[in-house]
Amino acid sequence: MATTEERIRKLVDDNLEVDGRPIGRPLDLNSSLRDAGVSSVDFVAFAKVVAQEFNVTFTLEDCAKYKTLGELIAFLDAPSG
Amino acid sequence: MVTAGRDSLEIVTSSADAWWSPFTTTVGVAIMHVDLRPDPVREAEAYARLDLSERSSWRKYLPGPRRRFSLCRAALRAILCRWLDCPNEQLSFGISGYGKPFAVVGGVRAHASFNVSHAGDHGLIALGATGRLGIDIEERVPKRSLDELIEAVMGPEEQAELAALQGADRLHLFYRLWTFKEALIKALGTGFSTDISRFQVPAAMRWGDAVGAFRFPHLPSVAWGLEDISGERFAAALAYELPRTANARMPEDGR
Repeated sequence: MATTEERIRKLVDDNLEVDGRPIGRPLDLNSSLRDAGVSSVDFVAFAKVVAQEFNVTFTLEDCAKYKTLGELIAFLDAPSG
Repeated sequence: MVTAGRDSLEIVTSSADAWWSPFTTTVGVAIMHVDLRPDPVREAEAYARLDLSERSSWRKYLPGPRRRFSLCRAALRAILCRWLDCPNEQLSFGISGYGKPFAVVGGVRAHASFNVSHAGDHGLIALGATGRLGIDIEERVPKRSLDELIEAVMGPEEQAELAALQGADRLHLFYRLWTFKEALIKALGTGFSTDISRFQVPAAMRWGDAVGAFRFPHLPSVAWGLEDISGERFAAALAYELPRTANARMPEDGR
């Protein structure tokens, strides 16, 4: 079974583009999607995709709270995530 | 506090070889457009103006974001240095708890209000002497997940009005509303920790007015001005804190 990190990386590959192209390199887990150039609109859309994939409630406040992929993965792996 | 060294917003004009230029001026706020198209000469000049901390950030970015960051930040530096009458070496930036930057000159927080946004090849910088500012710019790029986005970020009346539109009209209204909302939360200084689905853009502005006033439902004591500053190439909006004296004559709020 794929790990949370693998599933998140696939969602990034499948859903996020910068300058009309996939992000295109393995993202550092400590980097934020906004730093990678993801627009605020795409950032919020990605949060919706993550919520659907993991069947969790993921609010706009959560988007602001979990800035890096590492923080997002930790949230999803937590017992209440 | 370091106060602004000049009296007029006219001082933020740029020279012929600069990559930023005046875009518009409104209610004591100067807005500059920053050309973010690839240009190795400009990018090298921009990088040279960054401090060590900014260069460290620059290295983390992918090429496109790296270019936008350096061109926008260097333009902001040039504009603020002229506004605050200080050398580039004395200017640095602090970050508020929610990530909003503020200017520091010689270790002292400067009395200048500014905000920056960029999308694609366009950046906008808003600068004023007082009051909180927020600016947002977005390219009107079609989204596969527009329905889900609208459900996530719009209030009930906004959703109903968007549902009545199709195609380009719907996309235009979506970005118009989005830029209003993001400019407001940037002015407030809280970013997306404030849920933008919990407030609505004033009805008259949803229906086409370019200028209006707004109050957050959870913060009714503070009034904000809101302006549509879109161009043909992008959607954009400016939000600015209104003086307390303006609160009593607000025509409409967003509750």
